[in-house]
Amino acid sequence: MASLITCSHCGPRPKEEFTVKGDAAIARPAADASEDAWYAYVYLRDNPRGRHKEYWHHTSGCRRWLVVERDTVTHAIYAVADAAAQGETA
Amino acid sequence: MVDFALLHRSALTGAKTGAFGATSTGSRIALAALAEGHVLHLLAAHGNDDLQSLVSQIGDGGPYAVRAYGPGQWFVVGDAALSAADFSGKAALLANKASIADQSHGRVRIGISGASVEAVLAKGTAVDLDRASFAIGHSAMTLIGHISALITRTGVESFEVMVLRGFAESLWDDLIQMSLEFGVDAKTAD
Ligand SMILES: [Zn+2]
Repeated sequence: MASLITCSHCGPRPKEEFTVKGDAAIARPAADASEDAWYAYVYLRDNPRGRHKEYWHHTSGCRRWLVVERDTVTHAIYAVADAAAQGETA
Repeated sequence: MVDFALLHRSALTGAKTGAFGATSTGSRIALAALAEGHVLHLLAAHGNDDLQSLVSQIGDGGPYAVRAYGPGQWFVVGDAALSAADFSGKAALLANKASIADQSHGRVRIGISGASVEAVLAKGTAVDLDRASFAIGHSAMTLIGHISALITRTGVESFEVMVLRGFAESLWDDLIQMSLEFGVDAKTAD
């Protein structure tokens, strides 16, 4: 089977069990931040080459949101953590 | 007046039964539609992930009644149907610590066993089914092909697969197909 992602809760699973939820490195602006800051937060994304942190949802497993650090060129996975462990989500 | 009489029947009524595939006798697979008793879905409230001892009281005492599949998430299954009073009694035990949803008519259990059962299931899922990492009593939510299912090991050569009702017959047919090389005997409730 294809690329394996080692879920913090379920162990190694194929990428087909997950849904990619986008860049995990961007920070939510303050409520009264400028329109430009909000526009960038909502719409603008880099297309990085190399190491990249993304949210992955283990849709067909434990249904937890994870932060996966991977290489967009080699698909090597460097780190996986539960997104809530960082205090980023409730 | 209703236009149609509601017909209560098992999800796998009408699924194909009998012997399929190889005629070997040594490593045949047995496929069985299990009792549609009760299936309860439990979700811990935020900050209450460690409820194992409380959740075990929700089960009927059967050996694999409580099936954990993620942080703060369990299925509780049993062969007997629950009355409304049974259900609210269980819900009261959990109070504000977890929510409970009756999935008894929403999910169906299929038993699969035989000497080659791991080889059969491995055709559909990437979960490591070896007994060293998947002990008796362990559960894993995963995909079997494109169908989401909860796999539970109930013995050295036996597993249960729990699937959404609407996918039950499709998964049943897939499991027969996956078992053909070993020979399979498929049996639904009489
Ligand atoms: Zn997982």
